[in-house]
Amino acid sequence: MDRFGIIFRASPRQSDAMIVAGTVTQKMAPVVRRVYDQMPEPRYVIAMGSCACSGGVFKTYHTVQGVDEFLPVDVYVPGCPPRPEALLEGFIQLQQKMMKEEMRWSRWR
Amino acid sequence: MPENKAESKEIVREEVAYEPYTIAMGPQHPATHGVLKLDLELDGETILNCKPTVGFLHRGVEKLAENLSYAQTLPLTDRLDYIASMANNVAYSIAVEKLLGIEVPMRAKYIRTIVMEMARLTGHLLWLATHALDIGAMTVFLYCFRERENLLDMFEEICGARLTTSYTCVGGVRQDVTGHFLEALHAFTDDFPSKIAEYETLIDKNRIWLKRTQGVGIVSAKDAVSLGLTGPTLRGSGVDYDVRKHMPYDAYPYVDFEVPIGSKGDVYDRYRCRMEEMHQSNSIIRQCIEALPTGPIRSPDAPDIVMPYGEQKRVAADATFASGVIKLMKDNEHYIDGDVYVSAEVPKGELGFYFVSDGRGVPYRMHIRSPSYIHIGALPFLCKGQMVADVIAIIGSVDVVLGECDR
Amino acid sequence: MEPLEIANRLKERFPEQVLEVTECRDQVGIIVKKDRIVEMLRWLHDDPSMQLDHLADLCGVDYLGKKDVRFEVVYNLYSIPLRHRIRIRAQVPEDDCQIESVTSIWMGADWHERECFDLFGITFNNHPDMRRVLLPEDWEGYPLRKDYPLDGGGKNWRGYDEVLEKSKRLRKFDFYGQYQDPTKSTGLEEDARK
Repeated sequence: MDRFGIIFRASPRQSDAMIVAGTVTQKMAPVVRRVYDQMPEPRYVIAMGSCACSGGVFKTYHTVQGVDEFLPVDVYVPGCPPRPEALLEGFIQLQQKMMKEEMRWSRWR
Repeated sequence: MPENKAESKEIVREEVAYEPYTIAMGPQHPATHGVLKLDLELDGETILNCKPTVGFLHRGVEKLAENLSYAQTLPLTDRLDYIASMANNVAYSIAVEKLLGIEVPMRAKYIRTIVMEMARLTGHLLWLATHALDIGAMTVFLYCFRERENLLDMFEEICGARLTTSYTCVGGVRQDVTGHFLEALHAFTDDFPSKIAEYETLIDKNRIWLKRTQGVGIVSAKDAVSLGLTGPTLRGSGVDYDVRKHMPYDAYPYVDFEVPIGSKGDVYDRYRCRMEEMHQSNSIIRQCIEALPTGPIRSPDAPDIVMPYGEQKRVAADATFASGVIKLMKDNEHYIDGDVYVSAEVPKGELGFYFVSDGRGVPYRMHIRSPSYIHIGALPFLCKGQMVADVIAIIGSVDVVLGECDR
Repeated sequence: MEPLEIANRLKERFPEQVLEVTECRDQVGIIVKKDRIVEMLRWLHDDPSMQLDHLADLCGVDYLGKKDVRFEVVYNLYSIPLRHRIRIRAQVPEDDCQIESVTSIWMGADWHERECFDLFGITFNNHPDMRRVLLPEDWEGYPLRKDYPLDGGGKNWRGYDEVLEKSKRLRKFDFYGQYQDPTKSTGLEEDARK
């Protein structure tokens, strides 16, 4: 993934994008939100997998129906699980979206 | 002035009280395999108590299964242990077949044994990769993933999906295997033993590996049985319990294999058990390919989703989802009142399904006995008195997957 | 030993506790009362002709409306040396929703019983750590009961409601349109079409 300019960091404070992979449950939601809040702006979210996009097959009492209930998502990568090529396509789309943005994070970007 | 100098020469001794403190290895941690929260109560570096918190991935599969037919619940079982999903499918299928009293044709039995052993290989390869990575051997991680890619490509050839396959169905398998798949698999089994030998040369006699794994996390045989451990975790302590030998299913009565048993019950013995199991799986796959019989791949009385057409489409459109599907299913005298418990040997241990049925096409209660849940429950016992770094080795050796634990 | 023989031996030993012996596809289940369950299971564990030393599974079942006694706690036992299995089903009525814990016989029953409590609400006496395991500690309700709706009935967990509220509050600080209008196009589709 380095050839696309993507490096994996273990800490949210040093990253620009967050991938939410897998099912998010109500017990896990505060943790995910806290990790998102720790990221400095500009920050982006990729929802990977059907369960993160919309709850997937699991319409139950404990599953969050889509991580966009409490996070602003930029790119949705569906699939269960998504193919590796689909995830890379998601990254490339995110990069294109970032190029096109105007005045999203401040008056100068 | 001279008095001060004399006073300042006195050494003051104070009692420093030690208190245990608790740190949390939180849900976001690169070394825990999934979303597992461990509260470690430490006294210096030694662990006094360890409290795992699970449930971050609890999706309510058991309750969901009470509204879905037997054929519809099969894709849900994929997602339990998503690393070796074929094995979960086979375990579910044999449980439902026992409940409904369906007999599976021989070719399907052999194919299911082949894919189950392939799933065992993928599960153990991933275990080795992550366990070695946690302890510090990074090359093994890459080597194992290279092998795993071959296996996943073969999965994709027979059923179209690499990871969450829903290949086996109640009553057999969904599609037949191709000749190309069998050739590729045969070629794979030809040089897999040399690959295992490669991993072993890297870590087996390595002093760092031996020091980090021998004598760590010892569990006696009696304690292990009492804790409910199963699979290689139990066999490392010297207990001869393998569901494939005790309650054989599919084609296991017809193949020749041994079950490796450890002696001391530490992390190293469990590692050796799993490496030996990979050799045995290889040999089972070879035997099954050579002995594969011809014939049908699916039993005719298997319940399945019937695609609605014509009049049935109208019925399905205005019925509620579950009841519409049940009406469409073939009228089956196999749906009886009763309960069964059937278990299978998945890479992690003993995966059991307990079904209670009341005669409808939908299970009344499905309980999944997942090995990872029990193993995490046994972690407080295993980690008592060990160091923090050993906890990583123990979690790795006990081989948990949180998807299976939380269901 | 045949499963029916185990059932008969248990019936001889504890005659007033055993209510019924059921059979389904070669598997035998024994329905018992819950009063002396620890004694019965300890006898099954220790007796040299039984040696049922592996507790394969412990779960609860809710028979709302189907039977008089609402809950059942099911113990699936297996013997590793003697290779036989049996199932014990202890009836637990709804108004006295508690049963003795078997952690003194099997250490691994600990987490099984916690899960049973979490999902059904059956309390286990003398349990070392009786609290919820899969769901958050302050969840209300017991999901696997038959009168609990599958999707939670629209009600969320208190902690999750807090997360939703927090995200709504933080949206106020979205000065420059960070939460974008989904109906507006992002400009990527036109690029793809070109």
